[in-house]
Amino acid sequence: MLKTKRELGLRDALIMGLSGAIGFEIFVLLDYAYFHLAGSSIILALLLAGLINLLTMFSYCELGAAMPEVGGEYTYIKTAYGGFIAFISGCFRWLASVFAAALAAVVFTQQLAYLFSIVAPAVESFVSTQTPLIAVIVVLVLAASDIKGAKKIGAIIVVVFIAIFAILIASGILRGLTPLEVLPKHLPEGMSGVFAATVYMFPMFFGMRALVAGAALLKNPGRNVPKGILLSALLIIPIYVSIAYVAAGVVPLEETRPMAPLLNFAAEQIMGDAGGVLFAIAGMVACLSALGTSLTVQSSIARGMSRDGYLPKVLLSIHRRFGTPYVAITTGSLFVVLFSAIEAIEFLGYAASFASLIVFALVNLSLLRLREKKPYMERPFKTPLYPFTPIAGVIMSVALLVFPTFLGDVNAVGALMSGVGLTALVLMTYYLRMMGRHRLQIAVGGAVLGMSISLALLTFLAEAGFISPIFPYVPGYVILVISAISIIAGILNATAHG
Amino acid sequence: MEVRRALTVIVGIVQSIIAILIVISACTLYFNFFDVQTLLNTAVEFSYVHLLALLVFGFLSIISGLFLVQEWLESR
Repeated sequence: MLKTKRELGLRDALIMGLSGAIGFEIFVLLDYAYFHLAGSSIILALLLAGLINLLTMFSYCELGAAMPEVGGEYTYIKTAYGGFIAFISGCFRWLASVFAAALAAVVFTQQLAYLFSIVAPAVESFVSTQTPLIAVIVVLVLAASDIKGAKKIGAIIVVVFIAIFAILIASGILRGLTPLEVLPKHLPEGMSGVFAATVYMFPMFFGMRALVAGAALLKNPGRNVPKGILLSALLIIPIYVSIAYVAAGVVPLEETRPMAPLLNFAAEQIMGDAGGVLFAIAGMVACLSALGTSLTVQSSIARGMSRDGYLPKVLLSIHRRFGTPYVAITTGSLFVVLFSAIEAIEFLGYAASFASLIVFALVNLSLLRLREKKPYMERPFKTPLYPFTPIAGVIMSVALLVFPTFLGDVNAVGALMSGVGLTALVLMTYYLRMMGRHRLQIAVGGAVLGMSISLALLTFLAEAGFISPIFPYVPGYVILVISAISIIAGILNATAHG
Repeated sequence: MEVRRALTVIVGIVQSIIAILIVISACTLYFNFFDVQTLLNTAVEFSYVHLLALLVFGFLSIISGLFLVQEWLESR
C-alpha cells in the first residue's frame, strides 16, 4: 500500500520516472515499426517521439509541482474542467492501462516462446500455438498476486535494464557498427511511415508519468517532481535511440524478417545464444513488472472515479485479509484477459498509444485553462515558452492520434475505430450512471426483452426452415429456452418498482 | 408479491449463470482455446459478428440477472 508520508528524494523520483519509462514496450514495438513502417528511420521516429513527449512533460512538471497529490492527471483535469471531462480522462487513462497490461501479457508469451526456441525447441511450438491461453493464465496469476498485495521491484529492474542495454550498445559498437550501416536506405512507407512509427512507438515514453502518480510521496515536490520528470524524459531519449541504432545496424532491413523479436534477434546476433536468453528473460521480467503495475494503476483509477461517484461504490471494497482493492483489480483483470486473448500486438500497441494521447492533450489543455482560471496558484515550476509549449503539445497529440489512419494502416484504423466506440461507451456509462439505478434497470430490461424476442423469432423461423440457423452448432430448443428465460427476466426488470 | 420475489431470484440467478456461460463459450470458440473449433467443426461459421452479438447479449444478460438478484436482496 502507498504511504502518504513524504520521504522520497530526487534519486527516488528519477528511479520512479525511469522505472515507469523503461518497460517491456521496447521489446515489442521496435519490431513492427522497423520492418513495416520506417526501416532504420525508427531512430528518427524515436527522436521525434522523445521530443514530442518532452513538450507534454513540461505541462506534467508544472501541474505535478503545483498539485503533488494522489490521482495525477485525473486531479489536474478535474481541477481545470470539473467532473465530466475528468471522468472521460479517467476512463481513457484506465483503458490505456488495460491495453498496456494486455500487450504485456501477449509479449510475455512471445518472449517465453523465444526463450524456449533456444533452450527447449520441442516446447516452443506448444507455447506459440497456445499464446492466448498462456497470456490469460499470466494475467490471472498476476491479478491474484496483486490482490495478495505483492511487492514491486521497479528500482532493481531499472538498474538491471540499464546495465544490459549498456552491454548491448557497447557490444554493438565494439562489433564495428558505423553510422553508414544504419542510414535509411529504403523506407517501407516513406516519410509517412516515420510519423506512423512515431505514434506506434510512443507508448515507450508514456511510463515516466508514473512519477506524478507517486508525487504524494516525494519530499520537496516543487523541486523534485519537475527535475525527476525532465531528467527521465531526457535520459530515456539517448537510451532508446542507441538501442534502435544497434538493432537496425545488426539486422539489415533487406534481410528476411526473422521469426524472433527484433531486439532479441539483435542480441543473439551480437552476443550469441546467451544474449538471446538474457534479453528473453529481461523481456519477461519487464512484462511481468509492467503487467503488475498496470493492474494496480487501473484499479487505482477505477477507485478514484468510484470515490467521486462516477462508478459503483463496490469498486472501493477492500479485501478483509490482504487489505487490497480486490473488486477493482478483478474487474480490470477481466478486461485485460479479454484483450490479451485477442493476441493482436499491433492493435494493442496503437490502442494504448491513442488512449494515452487523448490524456496528454487533456493535460496540456488543463495547464492552459488553469493559467487562466487560477492565475495566483502557487507554481514552483513554470512551463517555458508558455503558451506555445502546451499548445504545441495539444497539436502534436491530436496530430499523432489521427496521422496513422491517413496512412491507412489497418491496425491504426482498427484501434481508432475501437477508440471511437469506446468513447461512445464511456459517454453512455456517464449518462447511465447519472440517470440512476431504477431507470437503468428498466432500460436494461427493455433491451434484454427486445433481444430475446428477436432471438426467439429468428430461431423459430430457422427451425421452420425459412432462414438458415444463426448458431448452427447450438440446438434450436436450447436457444428457445434461453430466450424464454431472458424474456421473463426482461419483463421483471422492465416492471421493477423504484 | 411472493410469487414475483421467488421468480425474481430464480430467474436472476439462472440468467446470470447462462449469460456467464455464453460469454465464456463465445470467447473459447472465437479464440479457439483447446482447439474447440476443430472439435465442433465451427471454424468457418463462428465469425467476429457472432462473437460481438454473443458478448453484447451475454453482458446485458449478466447485468439484467444481477439487477434481479439485487432487487430480491433489497426486498428481504
